[in-house]
Amino acid sequence: MAAKTVRQNQRTLTKAQKRRFVDAVLTLKRQGRYDEFVRTHIEFYLGDGEGRTRVAHMAPSFLPWHRKFLLEFERALQRVDPGVSVPYWDWTVDRTPAVSLWANDFLGGNGRRSDHQVTTGPFARRHGHWDITESVTDGDFLMRDFGRPDHDPTGLPSKAELAEAMRETVYDTDPWNSLSPGGFRNKLEGWSAERGARVWYNHNRVHRWVSGHMLGAGSVNDPVFWLHHAFVDLCWSRWRAHHPKAEPYLPLREPPIGDPQHDKVVPANDTLPPWDTPVHDLLDHGDLYRYA
Amino acid sequence: MNPNASVTGAAPGGARPLLTRRTLALLLLGGAAGTTATFALRTAVTGSEGRAPTAAGGAAAAAFDETYLGRRIVGAAVPGSEVDGTPAWRVTVDGRRLHLMRRADGTYMSMVDHYATYPTALAATRAAVEEIGHQALRARI
Ligand SMILES: [Cu+2]
Ligand SMILES: [Cu+2]
Repeated sequence: MAAKTVRQNQRTLTKAQKRRFVDAVLTLKRQGRYDEFVRTHIEFYLGDGEGRTRVAHMAPSFLPWHRKFLLEFERALQRVDPGVSVPYWDWTVDRTPAVSLWANDFLGGNGRRSDHQVTTGPFARRHGHWDITESVTDGDFLMRDFGRPDHDPTGLPSKAELAEAMRETVYDTDPWNSLSPGGFRNKLEGWSAERGARVWYNHNRVHRWVSGHMLGAGSVNDPVFWLHHAFVDLCWSRWRAHHPKAEPYLPLREPPIGDPQHDKVVPANDTLPPWDTPVHDLLDHGDLYRYA
Repeated sequence: MNPNASVTGAAPGGARPLLTRRTLALLLLGGAAGTTATFALRTAVTGSEGRAPTAAGGAAAAAFDETYLGRRIVGAAVPGSEVDGTPAWRVTVDGRRLHLMRRADGTYMSMVDHYATYPTALAATRAAVEEIGHQALRARI
C-alpha cells in the first residue's frame, strides 16, 4: 500500500506536480472515465422541492457524498499515476484571474467574452484533449465566465463569509435542506434560509463566480470542480477540529414518519448511493488522506 | 408550429432512452408525466385553471409560450405534480427540453444554473436563455 495521500494547496504545487495532475486528468478523459464522473454528478443533482430522497445537494449528506466522490476520482487518478492527488483551491486567498491556478501550465484561464470558451491551457478545446460531451448545451468546448460581468456580477466568498459558516456549532439542522436556518452544512453549501431570497454563499458562490460549465449540471466538466470541492472538504475537516464536541453528522436517525423529511435525507446510520458507503465511514479521512 | 408539437416533439433524442440511463435525476424532473409523450400541454394552457396552485413564495404558475432573446420558450405546469403546492414544469427552448427542478421554498432552478433559484419557472427559463447565449440545448439532457 502506498503512503497516505497528501492533498496540497494548489498554489504550492511544483511545475512537475501540476503537469502530472493535468496529465492524469487528461488520461482519464481519453479513457472515458472522466465523463462517467460528470454523468454521476448530473444524475445526483436533485432539488429539495421534488419530494424525493436527496443525497448530494440540499441535504445533510452534501459533505460526505462529495468526500466519497472526490475519493473515487482521486483513486482513478492514482491508477494512472500513483503520485498524484487532488489539490485544493482556497478561494478566500487566490481570488483573481491572475493567480497561478488559471495559468497555461495548470487549469488555463477565463473564457473569452463572446462565447465563454476557454482558449488557454490544457483544457482548451483547440488543443484537442478536452471535448465536452456531457453537458446541457451543445457547445463542445469548456466554458468559464469569471465573475459574470455581463449577467449578475459575482464575487468570490470572503474569509468573513466562510468564517460565519465555520462558527456554526451544529453540523446541520431541521428541515435538513436548503432552508435549514442554522448548521454548518447549509451555510457552507451556500443556500439562504430565507424563502425566496436570491443570495448565495460559500460553495454555491464559487460555482457562480467561475460560471460557464461550473454554473450548471455539467460542473464536473471543469477540472476546477475537484479543487473547489477539495477545499470544501478541508473546511469540513477544520470545522470538526474547531468543534470537537459537536456531533460530526446529523441527523443521527431517520426523521420520523410524519416529518416532511422522512425518507428524504440520509441519516448518520445509513449508507450513501451510488456506492453504498456508510456515512460513518466518511466522517474521518485521516486513514486515507490528509491536507497539507 | 403548435405548442403541442413543440412540447411532445421536444428532445428529438427522446426522453425515454434518457430515462433508462439516468434513473435518479430524471424521475425528479417532472415525474411520470415527463415520460408520457401524449402529455397535453394545451389543457394546461387553456384549461379551467389558467393559474396552477401558487407556491409558498407566491410563484404564479401561468403557462407561457413566448419568444425571449430570439428563442421560443414554452412551458406549463405538469398537472398533478404538485409537491407542497409547487408543480413540476415541462419547459422547452426552441423545442428542446430544459429541465427545471423545484426548491423547497417553491422556487425553480434549471440545469443551466444549478446554484441559484428563481421565483417562477418562467424566470428560471429566461435566465437559462440568457446564460446559453447562442448555443442550443442538447437533445439528451
Ligand atoms: Cu455537487
Ligand atoms: Cu459543488
